[in-house]
Amino acid sequence: MQTLERVLDIQPLKAADITLQLNGQAVQAAEGETVLSVLNAVGLRRLAQNDHGQPAGAFCGMGVCHCCLVAIDGRPKRRACQTVVRHGMRVETEVNRVVEGAQS
Amino acid sequence: MSLRPVIVGGGSAGMAAAIELAEQGVDCLLFDEASRPGGVVYRGPLRAGVDLGYLGARYSKALQTLHEDFAANAEHIDLRLNHRVVGGDTERLMVLDADEQLHEIDYSHLLLSAGCHERNVPFPGWTLPGVMLLGGLQLQIKSGAVKPLGSTLIAGTGPLLPLVACQLHAAGAKVAGVYEACAFNRIAKESLALLNKPQLFLDGLSMLAYMKLNGIAMHYGWGLVSASGEGELREVSLAPYGQDWKADMSRVRREPVDTLAVGYGFIPRTQLSQQLGLTHGFSDDGYLRAVCNVWQQSSQAHIHLAGDMGGIRGGEAAMLTGRIAAVSILQQRGVLDANQAIERRERYLGKLAAITRFRAGVERYTQRGAAQIELPQADTVICRCEHVTRSDIDLALEQGVQDMASLKMRTRVSMGDCQGRMCVGYCSDRLRASTGRADVGWLRPRFPIDPIPFSAFQHLATEA
Repeated sequence: MQTLERVLDIQPLKAADITLQLNGQAVQAAEGETVLSVLNAVGLRRLAQNDHGQPAGAFCGMGVCHCCLVAIDGRPKRRACQTVVRHGMRVETEVNRVVEGAQS
Repeated sequence: MSLRPVIVGGGSAGMAAAIELAEQGVDCLLFDEASRPGGVVYRGPLRAGVDLGYLGARYSKALQTLHEDFAANAEHIDLRLNHRVVGGDTERLMVLDADEQLHEIDYSHLLLSAGCHERNVPFPGWTLPGVMLLGGLQLQIKSGAVKPLGSTLIAGTGPLLPLVACQLHAAGAKVAGVYEACAFNRIAKESLALLNKPQLFLDGLSMLAYMKLNGIAMHYGWGLVSASGEGELREVSLAPYGQDWKADMSRVRREPVDTLAVGYGFIPRTQLSQQLGLTHGFSDDGYLRAVCNVWQQSSQAHIHLAGDMGGIRGGEAAMLTGRIAAVSILQQRGVLDANQAIERRERYLGKLAAITRFRAGVERYTQRGAAQIELPQADTVICRCEHVTRSDIDLALEQGVQDMASLKMRTRVSMGDCQGRMCVGYCSDRLRASTGRADVGWLRPRFPIDPIPFSAFQHLATEA
């Protein structure tokens, strides 16, 4: 499986001891990081599709705006900025079960 | 007194209060929603092995000192991370733990230090991925240790703009320029007030020098018009602003950028202070905040407020108000007598006075122009969660809506996931402008103040 490259880290990860699945692709992460940091590091910005079919990315970055909602381990509407990574975590972006025609 | 003091929010205010209590041998219970204490200002990097040099030596030192003091008192502080306080009354709190189970926590003395969030100012294109609030972007480089994509343009008002520009550059990111909405003469006029904190004033000058040295342009009296791009941000339009921040549309400039950081200041979190029934009032910037006295006591003497929750003054002031609140709690519990408490309070108030005068200067020059509310077009979304546009709000105002509760019922603003935190500023500005009244109400959040799953209620139990 192809591993997504982290291109925007300010400094390289000291220990990339965690692997998660981002839209089916493997990506490395470090203990303590948020899911949003990983999404930012690979340069993925279209994170959510809201209930009105509008695309959204991280906006407040601190858990207030609910714009970075992704599916985590199959559970939708989880705030990427408020979720700490775990080994084997599955993250899917632009998931919305309300909007017709969206991936689910 | 069997119950320990409870602190909500482990940022600079809550940490300083916990340290002050611990120094007098008093144990406390401290809740924070994040995985590390420190709040948005002093959380530090979330992963190991990050050299914080790019954030500046003084910041790194302050971060280290606070966390060392906190760690030295750890035996007295029951720190519950990943916990969210989602409701409560004057005797107990409802707390969601890390496993998303609800608990009732009784308290006798409470300190609310939940901080603030950013003021969102809508303009055409603000919802595009790639547009972020400035503090959120700064958190991404400070705690996430990740750069934003491509080149970043910074717009808004206040000292945070050049600070983040310098930190971004030092982190290796490209900065396309800083657009400060206020004219330079308004800032220069406040020089005397700003000199109340000579070190911060000097830091400001050295930031401007750093920007000049590294070719980052600082545009005074310029502001946002719109953002655009297919699916993601690609371009930002800016224009010179008049005294009231009316954009001069004959001189619009377009900048191709990938990231836009927007910073127009902050709004205290009042979800909990409102739910606890505390007395509130409005600031000059139009935001609601709970009122407190010189002891940081709210209208309920056993409930204290510290940090930005009681009005925006920043991290250094938050530590001092946290300390004062703790001194008041220590006096209420009979640990300190009145003379000891007053002596300590005066020491902290003395330090706070200079910060207060400095902040007053900042507030005067960053005062938002009245024309800011005209930035959105008819189809610009104001409430993103419920997809309410400016024309929906215009119509409601035409139909006679005069306060926040009616606007909510008429248009559905604030009824979505963020519970109005992102649209309350604009809605309040519009209502105040159209009615001419200072008090048009504010959003009244109900329990739970953050979304929780139904399963959270499964094992509800009381814990002291």
